[in-house]
Amino acid sequence: MTKQTVGVFFGSRSAEHDVSIVTAIAAIIKPLERLGRFNIVPIYITKDGRWFSDPKLKEISLFSSGNIESFLQSAKPVAIQFDAGLTLIKPGLKTKKVKIDIAFPATHGTYGEDGSLMGVFRMANIPFVGADLTASVIAMDKVLAKQVAEHEGISVTKWTWCSRAEMDTDLPAVVSRIKKLRYPLFVKPAHLGSSIGITRVAEERELQNALEVAAYYDDRIVIEEGVENLIEVTVPIMGNDDPKTALVERPLSVTEKGVFDFDTKYMNQGKGKAGGKNGAKQGAQGYSELPAQLPNKLYEQARNVALAVYKAIDASGTARIDLLIDSKKQTIYFNEVNPLPGSLYMHNWRAAGVSPVELVAKLLQLAEERHEAQQKLATTFSTNFLKQF
Amino acid sequence: MLQATEYQPRPYIQWVARTRDFSAVMRRRELDRTRAARALLRFIQVGMVVEIALGAWMAITGWLQLSVVFMALGLVILFLYPIVWAYLAVLPLVVGRLLIVRPRERRLIAESEGLFAAHPATKIAVAGSYGKTTVKELLATVIGEGRRVAATPANKNVAISHAQFARRLKGDEEVLIIEFGEGGPGDVARFSQTTHPNIGVVTGLAPAHLDQYKTMQAAGEDIFSLADYLHDKDVYVTGESEPLKPFIKPEHHTYSQEGVLDWRIKDIVVSLDGTTFTMTHGRTTLSLKSGLLGRHLVAPIALAAALAIKLGLTEKQVEEGISKTQPFEHRMQPRLVAGAWVIDDTYNGTIEGMRAGLRLLSELPATRKLYVTPGLVDQGSETEAVHKELGRLIAEAPPDVVVLMQNSVTHFIQEGLEAHGYEGTVHVEQDPLAFYTNLTHFTAAGDLVLMQNDWTDNYA
Repeated sequence: MTKQTVGVFFGSRSAEHDVSIVTAIAAIIKPLERLGRFNIVPIYITKDGRWFSDPKLKEISLFSSGNIESFLQSAKPVAIQFDAGLTLIKPGLKTKKVKIDIAFPATHGTYGEDGSLMGVFRMANIPFVGADLTASVIAMDKVLAKQVAEHEGISVTKWTWCSRAEMDTDLPAVVSRIKKLRYPLFVKPAHLGSSIGITRVAEERELQNALEVAAYYDDRIVIEEGVENLIEVTVPIMGNDDPKTALVERPLSVTEKGVFDFDTKYMNQGKGKAGGKNGAKQGAQGYSELPAQLPNKLYEQARNVALAVYKAIDASGTARIDLLIDSKKQTIYFNEVNPLPGSLYMHNWRAAGVSPVELVAKLLQLAEERHEAQQKLATTFSTNFLKQF
Repeated sequence: MLQATEYQPRPYIQWVARTRDFSAVMRRRELDRTRAARALLRFIQVGMVVEIALGAWMAITGWLQLSVVFMALGLVILFLYPIVWAYLAVLPLVVGRLLIVRPRERRLIAESEGLFAAHPATKIAVAGSYGKTTVKELLATVIGEGRRVAATPANKNVAISHAQFARRLKGDEEVLIIEFGEGGPGDVARFSQTTHPNIGVVTGLAPAHLDQYKTMQAAGEDIFSLADYLHDKDVYVTGESEPLKPFIKPEHHTYSQEGVLDWRIKDIVVSLDGTTFTMTHGRTTLSLKSGLLGRHLVAPIALAAALAIKLGLTEKQVEEGISKTQPFEHRMQPRLVAGAWVIDDTYNGTIEGMRAGLRLLSELPATRKLYVTPGLVDQGSETEAVHKELGRLIAEAPPDVVVLMQNSVTHFIQEGLEAHGYEGTVHVEQDPLAFYTNLTHFTAAGDLVLMQNDWTDNYA
């Protein structure tokens, strides 16, 4: 039986470019290699948007050693051919074509996770892992995600948003909307993940700087109230029509700034204030309580809210839903959706009884099932429309 | 690869003869450049240069003198040098062994016979196809609680190891425990005559070293030459090895999960923390808790306790001694890896060990059970039957996932699995090293993984 070819797409023009490399190689390519059922083709997208494909790109040492730069200088970018499918064209003395049967996107943030890549795969009409175009767009836009959740009756903290253009032209209007919110506030770029560009604002004089930081990364900015007696939890989910949750996890790494920022998540192995205490385990993104030690009822509510959000944005494949809990009021607020969690959150799935090999195999299966279902939908039909011209 | 076979010419030559692609055969380790390895390498290099020079000279001379035969012969000698030296690499070993090592070993072994004979300690010999090292370590740990004990180290169990062990003895030891590592007919008889044991323990009989013994009967006869040496007195034989039963005489003491000597065993509990049970004799009760894993270890633990009592240890000393027994490296050794329990039994190399491991896997609770094995080596003409039997044992366990390493016996295991209706997932791994180093990709919390046996590169 001929093996199917899985293209793993990673890197890209994103602030989370490097995180994506780790997700692709450690959480996707290596387990897929062990699964042994597929040909695996890595497709690395550089920070300036060039696409490369070479077996050497499956090794993390190429990136961690810094040799990637010299590799890229000697390698030639690939081209894409849409031929009722997706074919990579690798230039060389003899042009080589590699047909991709299933795409496994591993990009985080902009130009990838935000729906950009999903559009490419949809045009090529090939199955791809993870959220579809619409869900990716909604999930990666915190403004849209909150609007959808609110519309579905899911609690969110009080919030507002503004565009960079509005900040430039009518800052007083923005500030006047923000004045209706209670401090402390969180100011976030609308489209970035991995906590990049987020600032906790304790008082008004810190606000402008926080807005400028967020505007440096994004053209839409979310400003939201902080939650009192906060317990932050995150819930990985997998599935299409009948999604299932992994374990409700409580990240414990918080910096002095009160934010679970990029450095805390990825650079210090999560060794923030609470790191490693009280039996907490080190996950892909630092120390966390896994499963979160919540009262049973609250734990179940958190799972149900997460599933409600997943369904509301029409997510499929996998996603991670972040929630904020006011532990005194026992109120759960939707915070944000991450349609491609870093390293697929495999540490959580493993703790829930799903091995990394099973995880990637299941995600590929879900991708194929969704694609098969989509093929049954009519997208074209014959008309006499053109005959009138 | 010669180093990987511990410089044994025969398995090395067999490996060279059956290997078709030499480009990626050394995967697990690099050459350890010891003095011996360097000297051997230099010999091969010089030999190759001489052969190339000879071949080139013959080819050129043949060409110049228009002698096609001479030229062709020269070219053959020139181009065949890698193959020729793959075989000739063993030449210095064979010569050195005949002229230097063997005479030296013979002298040391002869000397050790006198040392053992003169030593006043009680000498316990442990023989059998499997389980010897476990029993030896158990006896040493438990009896060591009350007596000065010396035991042959690790799995050093052949005549020269015994001789070196004898040279290191201080003379004040009260108990010596000597492991007999049989490899071919007559070995155990020779070990007995050299080490002069007073007590013999026979741990089991299974197909092993059949390339030398040819039949299980021959292996059994050799192992029981220990009982012959002891005139069948103070011989302890496991009652849990079917193939051994025809060799057991009424004078022998058997030990099993039922009991040993006058001790009766009950309340056996096996878990990942270890094995607990009680032994009673009249009004005396021993409550034993060992870190060792598996019901099959109850009998050896009980034997160690009974022998220790017989050698004068108190009940408290025995209980403490048993509580100090822990899994030996790569022998039913449990460890928690990323939320999954992995039982490392990769030193296991017999079907009886496989049977015991699979029984343990079946007994322990887990969300999902995985069984990993490449199969067994040195099974001679029994290879097919043994591996089909292994397939049956797996199918009866049965784990949820079976991971087999692709090699010459894989299809026999698969046939055994199919014949006995195994319905779980079978994964055949092409790259064992990659599998072992990436085991966590296959496991999740709640999993129980049993890894039995491991083939070194020269068997792959």
